[in-house]
Amino acid sequence: MTSNIIEFIFNNKIFKITDPDPNETILNFVRLKLKKTGTKEGCAEGGCGACTIVLGELVKNNIKYKAINACIAFLPILNGKQLILVEDLISSDGKLHPVQNAMVKFHGSQCGFCTPGFVMSMFAMYKNNKSLNDEIINDSLSGNLCRCTGYRPIIDAAKSLNKTIDNDEFVKFKKKTIKLFKKIKIKNLEIKKENKKYFAPNTILELKKILKKNPDANLLSGGTDLSLEVTKSRKELKKIISLNSIKELDFINNKKNEIEIGAGTSLIEFEKLIKKHYPDFTSILKRYGSVQIRNVGTIAGNIATASPIGDTLPLLLSLDAKIILDGAKKRELISLNKFFISYRKTRLKKGQFIYSVKIPIYKKNIFKAYKISKRFDDDISSVCGSFNIEIDKNRIKKIKIAYGGMSEIPKRAKNTEKTLINSIFSEKIFVKAIKNLESDYRPIDDMRASKSYRMEIAKNLLLKCFLEVKNKKTLRVN
Amino acid sequence: MKGSNYFVKDAIPHDSAFKHVSGFAEYTDDIKEPEGTLFAAIGWSKKANAIIRKIDLKEVKRSEGVVSIVTYSDIPGRNDVGPVFDGDPIFPKKKVEYYGQPLFAVAATSVELARKAVMKVKISYKELKPIVTMKESLKKNKLLFNVRKIKKGNPRKKIFKSKNCLKGNFTTGSQEHFYLEGQVAFVLPREDNDLIVYSSTQHPSETQQLIAKMLNQKSNSITVLVRRIGGGFGGKETNFMTSSICALLAHKTRAPVKLRLDRDDDIIITGKRHEFYSDYEVGFDDEGLINGLKIKLASKCGMSPDLSVAINERALLHIDNAYFLSNIEIENYLCKTNTSTSTAFRGFGGNQGMMAIENIIDNIARYLKKDPFEIRKKNFYQKNKKNITHYGMKIEDNIIKEIFDKLAKKSDYKKRVLEIKKFNSRNNYQKKGIAITPVKFGISFTTIHLNQAGALVHIYTDGSVYLNHGGIEMGQGTHTKIAQIVANSFGLPYKKVQISSTNTSKVPNTSASAASSTTDLNGAAALNAVSKIKTNLEKFIKSKYKIIYNKEPIYRNGFIVFGNKSFKFEKIIQEAYLNRISLSSSGFYSTPKIKFNKKSFSGRPFYYFCYGAAVTEVTIDKLTGENIVNRVDILHDAGNEINPALELGQIEGGFVQGQGWLTIEEVNWNSKGQITTFSPSTYKIPAISDIPKEFNVEIYKDGMNKENVINKSKTTGEPPLMLAMSVFFAIKDAIASVGNYKISPIIDAPATPEKILMSVKNLEEKL
Repeated sequence: MTSNIIEFIFNNKIFKITDPDPNETILNFVRLKLKKTGTKEGCAEGGCGACTIVLGELVKNNIKYKAINACIAFLPILNGKQLILVEDLISSDGKLHPVQNAMVKFHGSQCGFCTPGFVMSMFAMYKNNKSLNDEIINDSLSGNLCRCTGYRPIIDAAKSLNKTIDNDEFVKFKKKTIKLFKKIKIKNLEIKKENKKYFAPNTILELKKILKKNPDANLLSGGTDLSLEVTKSRKELKKIISLNSIKELDFINNKKNEIEIGAGTSLIEFEKLIKKHYPDFTSILKRYGSVQIRNVGTIAGNIATASPIGDTLPLLLSLDAKIILDGAKKRELISLNKFFISYRKTRLKKGQFIYSVKIPIYKKNIFKAYKISKRFDDDISSVCGSFNIEIDKNRIKKIKIAYGGMSEIPKRAKNTEKTLINSIFSEKIFVKAIKNLESDYRPIDDMRASKSYRMEIAKNLLLKCFLEVKNKKTLRVN
Repeated sequence: MKGSNYFVKDAIPHDSAFKHVSGFAEYTDDIKEPEGTLFAAIGWSKKANAIIRKIDLKEVKRSEGVVSIVTYSDIPGRNDVGPVFDGDPIFPKKKVEYYGQPLFAVAATSVELARKAVMKVKISYKELKPIVTMKESLKKNKLLFNVRKIKKGNPRKKIFKSKNCLKGNFTTGSQEHFYLEGQVAFVLPREDNDLIVYSSTQHPSETQQLIAKMLNQKSNSITVLVRRIGGGFGGKETNFMTSSICALLAHKTRAPVKLRLDRDDDIIITGKRHEFYSDYEVGFDDEGLINGLKIKLASKCGMSPDLSVAINERALLHIDNAYFLSNIEIENYLCKTNTSTSTAFRGFGGNQGMMAIENIIDNIARYLKKDPFEIRKKNFYQKNKKNITHYGMKIEDNIIKEIFDKLAKKSDYKKRVLEIKKFNSRNNYQKKGIAITPVKFGISFTTIHLNQAGALVHIYTDGSVYLNHGGIEMGQGTHTKIAQIVANSFGLPYKKVQISSTNTSKVPNTSASAASSTTDLNGAAALNAVSKIKTNLEKFIKSKYKIIYNKEPIYRNGFIVFGNKSFKFEKIIQEAYLNRISLSSSGFYSTPKIKFNKKSFSGRPFYYFCYGAAVTEVTIDKLTGENIVNRVDILHDAGNEINPALELGQIEGGFVQGQGWLTIEEVNWNSKGQITTFSPSTYKIPAISDIPKEFNVEIYKDGMNKENVINKSKTTGEPPLMLAMSVFFAIKDAIASVGNYKISPIIDAPATPEKILMSVKNLEEKL
């Protein structure tokens, strides 16, 4: 059964739109159609957080609150969600929400333009965490930029919310809201607006059918990259197939020697799970992007986008991850190391989609990953280095090294690896090996870093990895 | 309540705090448009230096939703928005001088359609080689003005005779304002040719004048309104392009037009902070006392003069920071480049001048193997001698030594220096650094006539007060502070004073909200209006109630008290009205004492100075150049502050903005003159993890303005930005530790991880 109507909860009611414009952002919808101007546009690319809104989602009879960037989310994404705007936090008797109160009390606003976004990020944090600490606060607010305050009063406002009892109106209306959620039946979505089409199938079977008919369509996962085609390049995306409603793609399979992650799993869900196996993976993921981005962004999306930097990609490469491609024909399992062809070009054929990612768990290995960027939070790497080493009796039995930001695609350092394999784990061999990085990579100059700096840190990261392993402690300033 | 300080010195939240957090604070783009409003977009040059052969607008015209297009030929009057000098054409006729220069604009039925339409233009250019860097400009002698030379004493001789001499050069980088609210204007045509202009500007009066000139109309036909702006930092002081183009389209179409720049366009089109380059020679004794300094100071001004003359002048006036320099020679070069015009940015050249001297001091200390702390103190201005600046102004309010010493003690500076050395000797790959730096910053517009302000105060018959003044609310809380002062003066609760939009038809001929002077000037003007109303009231009360009382009555808790007689404010206002007493007044203020001869570079350009100091400790990663700010201690002078919470906000916010300027914010142009850092994905301002892990900020408790500034307060607008100099020099200190403090590191600002690593590498090669 298909439908051309999206339904979402707004102001305690179900709101319906027939054939919404699939290229319209939620931000434009909110500001221009709903005439709610509390939500601001700061950058239209998900980089400043001024447009942060919160989406409520029914998960196992509970409501989960997700902060997202409304400026890069298309309207149909609202289907089946609860839309919460900054104005909606005010209680029915006109009182400020505890989060808003804290921001006033601690002087968290100056010019006020970033404030609604901060309030919404803080609101999601408040709703999703019983107790708060510095890490949670920094992580929750790292996707919101403020140019006036220097953040200290905002952090203090957030801290003051720790262990306060949550009995805001969202708690009071919870039962009613859940009822509304249950009223909305998620059907296969097929929208036609002028010359634009948008599909959000619920099953892989449906997805395949649509793909067969529309092999030229853009696949939308988190959309944090794809949407910029509209908001920045001002192009029209004529055909979009959203993978977001396919429950079969949202899974994590924990096996003994391997984790399999469905293509639709959000980065934020994934980072929680991978932490116990590879803590560095989680640290990098936290810096991959803000909470707003990680709430919608997926690892499969990151792979398909094939950015030369692609933060998670060098990590997956050094872990020798595999991906399952699906589509009209048979499923195929391929090594990620063979997936990237050239700049933003991959083996993904038209009509194909990524089904899942398989990450081996190496119990004996040491895994380390480093991201170097100008800014700690929410920045694109100058270089990202990842190292997966198996040492047996002080001999390097296996080593897999991969870098992002060093080439037109993220790739392994095969020559460097060769020098190290089967050698004694010693400073001497590492010092020798780092020279080989020059034969593995030819980095470029750009606004983020010069090629000489890129090469220099690539070498030093390998050295750092050696030092950390040797001294059995981390050597990091952050 | 605090007696006469009723409502003053209270940490009242920002007047709009409630509205900020709930989304109800209205910014220009939030104003609901009347039906028929058009939306505009600007088409700009893709070349940095070129002759325009042809602009083909056919496809643009045909594009969906397009209603009107304007080019230079639609401008009836002055085709220039240069605030002081010409050079900023709204749309150039023949020659484009930077990548991003506006060439035409369209008005369409929606923002999206307007933005899509401008992309359809076809322009044929005859390309010329652009000058992108200061180096090229200096080499080719492409200057906006003749070289300015200033000489005091005999530096050449002093340097020659000095026991020690150092030469070097130093660069500080540009900076994008990145106000969260981009440039936006909304113009509504009214009857006759009148226009109502809503604009996100720091300078409504000049917006008004420039639009009038552009349209060949009188200023009285243009009204500019600003309720609040979403950050300015100098970036909205002279950027009149947006409002002028919007007004031109409204004038042509006779329809309301809104123009909001997309973030990329905003960064590409509008100006940024001046990059500065200095080349110096300094002579000093074995104790580090500077005998003479010769310095060449060049700045990257971009394609036009804009405010570059004043900005460079402030750099020259702050080349001393807190140090006595009696033998000095400065050559100042204003480099013309094919980049967007460099413009005002918090600090306004002062910070660039101060960084130049701080770097020299730091190098002297490293050369002498002494703690820079000692060299700084050695060179400080003193109270009774060595108190005349290089521009001949006697410093009468010097408290830098008190602040410096107090902060050094409070922050355990000396002890930590030793601890850090110990840490560094034990750690190969992580190095710590520490620095203490002073700030002395002059307050007043150096263009003397700008130091004036107006205000308008009404009391309505119900006793409520309406306040209007020429200052712009851009986050600094000027409306809150001035309302506090007015409430205090009337002895009324703060909430009785209604704050209103800045409006050129209420207060005319205002200066920009800039130079840290907004509250000083406009607050004084508001008080002037208040005192005129009070005079009327008191005269009336005395005559009606036959009171003989020679002292000033006291206004407190809603009463006016003449000795043992007191009158309820609201009641007496009603009575005054019935007796036909004026309850409204304008107010005016002009800063006393200041005068400055620009030609001889001498006089008293500043009414007073602000002081402060900061200690910063950092850790750098020797292998990657990554770094972290471990701890910052600040002691800053706000005089007798009006609102401690708001001042604290300015101090901390200014510090972090300065930290961004000196560490991570890097504006990049490629060799074609295209800016490559034009969005938050490529241009990084500090985010939440960048701020100091420990951040101890204190307002100097003994602060008191010697001059008669409202409440004896001192402004906190720009000065705190310069506290962040300590971050840069702490990083330099950490790098120096790599060579066991034997070699002075070479590093320019911003100290990005890349520059740090390269500096470490360079230093290691010398070992």
